[in-house]
Amino acid sequence: MQNPDKFTKEKNLTPIILAMKDLKELYEAVITGDAVTARSITEEALSGETDPLSLVSEHLTPAMDEIGRRFEASECFVPELLLSARAMKGAMELIQPRLLESGVELLGRVIVATVKGDLHDIGKNLVAAVLEGGGFEVIDMGVNVEPEKIVETIKEKDVQIVVLSALLTTTMPAMKTSIEAIEAAGVRDKVTILVGGAPVTQRFADEIGADGYSDSAVGAVAVARKAVGA
Amino acid sequence: MRLKLISCEVFSREMETAIDRSPNEVDVDYLPKGLHEIPCSQMQDRIQEVVDQGDDSKYDALLLGYGLCSNGLAGIHTRNIPMVMPRAHDCITLLLGSKERYLDYFNEHPGVYFKSSGWIENESSSDELSQLSIAQTSGMNSSYNELVDKYGEDNAKFLYRELCDFTHNYGQFTYIEMGIEPDDRFEKHTREKASERGWKFEKVKGDLSMIQRMLNGIWDDSEFLVLPPGSRIEPKCDAGIITSTEGESQ
Repeated sequence: MQNPDKFTKEKNLTPIILAMKDLKELYEAVITGDAVTARSITEEALSGETDPLSLVSEHLTPAMDEIGRRFEASECFVPELLLSARAMKGAMELIQPRLLESGVELLGRVIVATVKGDLHDIGKNLVAAVLEGGGFEVIDMGVNVEPEKIVETIKEKDVQIVVLSALLTTTMPAMKTSIEAIEAAGVRDKVTILVGGAPVTQRFADEIGADGYSDSAVGAVAVARKAVGA
Repeated sequence: MRLKLISCEVFSREMETAIDRSPNEVDVDYLPKGLHEIPCSQMQDRIQEVVDQGDDSKYDALLLGYGLCSNGLAGIHTRNIPMVMPRAHDCITLLLGSKERYLDYFNEHPGVYFKSSGWIENESSSDELSQLSIAQTSGMNSSYNELVDKYGEDNAKFLYRELCDFTHNYGQFTYIEMGIEPDDRFEKHTREKASERGWKFEKVKGDLSMIQRMLNGIWDDSEFLVLPPGSRIEPKCDAGIITSTEGESQ
């Protein structure tokens, strides 16, 4: 005779096992940069009982961490990193409103901006994408950003981290003036300021009073996590 | 004076003109423009190697025909003779004649791509440097079709926009005419490029005088950093752009 308990358990377990399998596919979709699949699995998961935060912390962020590890180990390159970040971003766009509804906060709110005078954004976009993948809420302010705009946004949006980018040594002094504007506005203590870009160095970061520096986009995630104690 | 000039080939026409007009005896080595595209530390190593060869007491000074060039000149040191380095972020200062003029133009014209005879004549790099370039190693040199083959059409569109055109926020070509060009071929070339991309075109008059002062030995501290033997170039976040520090490396 069949054990009724066992039968019930098996019956109940089936959808859970399927759900886990599907979510493993979300991880894989981000790793392989499959934006369409990442989005459709997320959509499906959110229509069910899945906790939105666990989608981020158990699937999306680990996937981005893994692709970041592969990138650092030269097992994959910038295009793969960008495609993964894009897949993750598509999923996040669906998840974020749900997180807001339930009052769940991400690791922190970050401003990412290319400083005044500088119109280069490949590196900045990459950093924005991996920070988002790393569990931060990112406000991308674009390029050629006036220091005053940065100050305004810090005040309005309760920002914890400011990430400044410059590709030219010509515009590196604008990083310094941005930091000075943040100081002058009395909000320096509220934020951790990180700087980066091809000609930027740790020495320069120290010279202008930034709190952190990374020579790579993936490294920026570690520095930002450290800044918020994550 | 007997001088040794080590210069980026982007200035070859300007340097040759200035050498002809200089009272000094100048030996010159031109290095490829493509050094700007390889990782900074490799650019530094290659320039240092040539500086070491010219660092010889038969010369009164070494001249560098470079700007700071994204820190590609940071750390370059001289052991035996003084070394003269323009206070410049990049070659545009030398073509426009002063760092102040460049900064004014830069601030008033965000998103400008500059062209000069040297930029046009040395547009493509050698295979060796192309292979080492950051653009190549990071996938930025890929053609659209290569991206489609590798990542599919949708991804390729995204990657091409994100990665393969660092000038996508630019909107103007500025051609710097130095007055030493044989005819209007470089201006025409730049105009054509501007119209291909739908960008604005502007021609500005270059100024050879800073390059001439360098070759004539007029090295005012406001324009040139004169490094004593046993010191190296250090970038500095102020109007002077660079400073000298004792020793060969940090």
